[in-house]
Amino acid sequence: MPTPHIPTAPGIAVTGEGNQLALEGVLDIRTLTAAETSLKHWQRAGKSRALDIGKLSGIDTPGALFLCGLRGKGVELTGIREEHKSLLDLICGLELKPLAAPPKVPRWRQLVMGLGKSADETWHDMIDVITFIGRVASATVHALAHPRSLPLPSISRQVAETGINALPIVGIMAVMISVVIGYQGVAQLRPYGGEDFTINLVAVSVMREMGVLITAIMVAGRTGAAFAAEIGVMKSREEIDALEVMGLEPMKLLVVPRVIGLMIALPLLTFFADMMGLLGGAGIAHSLLNVSPLQYLDRVHHALLGSDFFVGLIKAPVFAFLIATVGCMHGLRVRGSAESVGKETTRAVVKAIFLVIVLDALFSIFFEKLGW
Amino acid sequence: MSASRKHAPEPILSASGIVNRFGRQEVHDKISLDVMSGEILGIAGGSGSGKSVLLKTLTGLRRPNAGKVLLNGKPIDELGNAEKASLIGVLFQQGALFSSLSVAQNIMLPMRQHTNLPPAQQERIAAMKLELAGLPAETGLKLPSQLSGGMVKRAALARALALDPRILFLDEPTSDLDPIAASGIDALIQQLNQSLGITVVIVSHDLTTLFTVCQRVAMLADKKITVDTVDKLMRSHQPWIHDFLHGARAQGAMNARKHAHGTG
Repeated sequence: MPTPHIPTAPGIAVTGEGNQLALEGVLDIRTLTAAETSLKHWQRAGKSRALDIGKLSGIDTPGALFLCGLRGKGVELTGIREEHKSLLDLICGLELKPLAAPPKVPRWRQLVMGLGKSADETWHDMIDVITFIGRVASATVHALAHPRSLPLPSISRQVAETGINALPIVGIMAVMISVVIGYQGVAQLRPYGGEDFTINLVAVSVMREMGVLITAIMVAGRTGAAFAAEIGVMKSREEIDALEVMGLEPMKLLVVPRVIGLMIALPLLTFFADMMGLLGGAGIAHSLLNVSPLQYLDRVHHALLGSDFFVGLIKAPVFAFLIATVGCMHGLRVRGSAESVGKETTRAVVKAIFLVIVLDALFSIFFEKLGW
Repeated sequence: MSASRKHAPEPILSASGIVNRFGRQEVHDKISLDVMSGEILGIAGGSGSGKSVLLKTLTGLRRPNAGKVLLNGKPIDELGNAEKASLIGVLFQQGALFSSLSVAQNIMLPMRQHTNLPPAQQERIAAMKLELAGLPAETGLKLPSQLSGGMVKRAALARALALDPRILFLDEPTSDLDPIAASGIDALIQQLNQSLGITVVIVSHDLTTLFTVCQRVAMLADKKITVDTVDKLMRSHQPWIHDFLHGARAQGAMNARKHAHGTG
């Protein structure tokens, strides 16, 4: 099929007819698609075809790749300019293999394999967590048993960072939570004429559950993530390896101070959250129930048992231990890349919050059986 | 030199009156540098002499405190993204491969952004670039974290070449490499320069690279720059340049140069 002039995009033009065509202009990554479509039919038709590329003023590597492909299909390239020769020789000389494609697996098999893989991972993960908790517990107890070797400066820095700096946000959250509970309590109890019991509801639920739970979740998001990222970056920059080579134990130097620091900070934060929760309760009592702060204190005093306070507070160090341990564990699991730091940080936070809530449920059952 | 080019020497990149300072500390004091089309230029200097800062200035990543950089005759900060990408390719010292993408995806990323080539074609071109950089096609599937140091450099080079830039900037291309891998990279740079006509700017401490690959070398010393061929720089009386080129390490590199030019 003789085509006198095949239309092409600006930059490249195909001239000539029949089996003798010529390319004119620049054959580069921008004009390649145009050239390819123009020559598509031609390169299949007929035999002994020749393409004059002498009028091409420029060729880049994708262009050369295309020309080499034509040559491979039996098209003779004529009029090659001197300055294009070495480029064409180089590209045509490459042993071109297609990019390896990832092996194709049917969808249902992917699903089954994914299920198996994640089950296996969860199992190993669980064992890892338990092992790591054991190691951290033993290292912490060992450190506490040898108080002289305790890294006090870094513990106090951890307390400051994880505790004192978290005071404002934890305080605000505790107030908010008691406001939420208070409003719900008043709305639900008013039909029965028992809206005064809202005070008991707020005081008991903040003391026993909400204070510590909100604080722990906040700290898991804030400090658990920080631990994982800090240690993860150290790991990816080979700083952990450097410690080990120098005969320093990362467990003792990095993990124990964080665990002890958080175990000191979280109970204090919880106490603060409890107090702020009660303060929020006072505000609610005053505005919704017309109970003065002094009356409120009196009511709270009668509503709360000593055990309510301790049931809440005793959970704090346990949660702290878990959050710090999980954060450090995931930090140490980082492998190489920046992406891995992000992934492990996310996992640390999710796992810490999950474990905190699971454990809180277990505590509830436990204290119920004890009758506290 | 074997590489006598046909191009009339014209600067493709021209920096003039560059001043860079950090706070009160001045790194470059009115530096001027022309990079000729088709040449291989080395930039050398001691640690802290501002090589990396100069590289950042030349590639438009850092705006100098004074002076201007003209790329292909236009001020570098007025170039559009696509135009700049088709003019400049940079091989960063640590490779700077995107760790969440496979090597092939790394190479295809600029193509996907700046061209409208169909994916199959992009893959073919990416495979070609990998081959050009001396990596087997299987490497394309791997993630950067799975590559060795030398392979990271080659993969990053393949990505720098993705859009067939006119100038290739190489930041310490042979650092952290064993001598065999380093020689391989040196040979690759020369081949790309000769076959593709790419202008190459190499920032390096590696005397062997500077002596055997570079046609001219720019020496940064004392906030100033001296640009000349290695032979002429050898006769320089500037104390730092003299020490740099006449130390014990320079002897070995000089032998390598004789060897390379004797056989090549």
